[in-house]
Amino acid sequence: MNKELEHKFVTELESNQNIVHKVCSLYTNDRDSHNDLFQEITIQLWKAYPKFRGDAKFSTWMYRVALNTAITLYRKSKRSVKTQDFDAVIYKIKTDEYDDTEERQLKLIYDAVKQLGDIDKALVFLYLEDKNYAEIAATIGITEVNARVKMNRIKNKLKTILNP
Amino acid sequence: MMDELELLKKDWQNKEEHLPKLSYDEIYKMIWKKSSSIVKWIFYISIIEFMFWIILGNIPFKGDDQLASTKYTNLIASIFEYISYAITLFFVVKFYLNYRKITTDDSSRKLIKNILKVRKTVMQYVWTSLSLVGISLFILMTEMIFFEPDFRQIIDKASSAEYPWLIYILFFVSLLILMAVVVGLIWLFYRLVYGILLKRLNANYKELKKLEV
Repeated sequence: MNKELEHKFVTELESNQNIVHKVCSLYTNDRDSHNDLFQEITIQLWKAYPKFRGDAKFSTWMYRVALNTAITLYRKSKRSVKTQDFDAVIYKIKTDEYDDTEERQLKLIYDAVKQLGDIDKALVFLYLEDKNYAEIAATIGITEVNARVKMNRIKNKLKTILNP
Repeated sequence: MMDELELLKKDWQNKEEHLPKLSYDEIYKMIWKKSSSIVKWIFYISIIEFMFWIILGNIPFKGDDQLASTKYTNLIASIFEYISYAITLFFVVKFYLNYRKITTDDSSRKLIKNILKVRKTVMQYVWTSLSLVGISLFILMTEMIFFEPDFRQIIDKASSAEYPWLIYILFFVSLLILMAVVVGLIWLFYRLVYGILLKRLNANYKELKKLEV
């Protein structure tokens, strides 16, 4: 592989790494697993990069590879104990006294999302990233109608988790 | 009331500052690391399986030359050999073509489907090989019973016994049980290995398929 390609790839990934980190934090529960998954996604992205023609946006293409790696390729390691210490890179309650109700509620919702199945999580993730249903459907490989139906079901599922 | 996801979405983009930040060098180092994806595992295990059956088919058995085989059984043996070569070749090519189809920038559903297809090819190969082994074992046994002098003696003794058919039945039943045990053990082994590897994949694929109806 030539140096120019390497440089181009790493630069683009560096500036888009948030996408990968968000996927990792959604699919893993501790720092080690987070880093493992990040690395695996990076490897998969790099492997697929020569085929990336640039007819899609780099970030759009990244969503696919990153989610696919998290859903299908990545083997959860045994050591990933369900600890809450790292859990939320995204939503973390700073201290117990810090009792911001909204922040607390967001954290609860995020925790509920983390309890969903792999596919459901992928849909939620794309939804949160403000992708439209056509794009969500294409990434997952279902029809747009089914994506909508599924999304509604997920919303109901979340309600049940949050208000048992 | 606003639904929960909407609430989360509103806040989602503001949360990026909490995310870890990797440097150019850290990412650069990562691209040279070895992948540990399940596709890679499936690939390695499949290759081992192919090798196993190819080697098994080519082990020269000790008794091979000593068997007083007739021309007829020799012919059967060589036909079997060619058939199994052809089958192996067919499956290896099919496996390779399916494997090449796996790309991470497909949709999730297609990707999972393609991975499972690769696995299925190897499974079909294993069961085909197993049946071939079974059939040739059966032929070998029949051959031994009819043409081996040692066996002739046993059969002669058996036929002079009080219930000769009982001995034949016992013989065949124990042969069948032996075969069933071997097949069962192999099945169990595969359940274990692939149960671990493919459990999540199968579950996710089922979920996606369920959406279609």
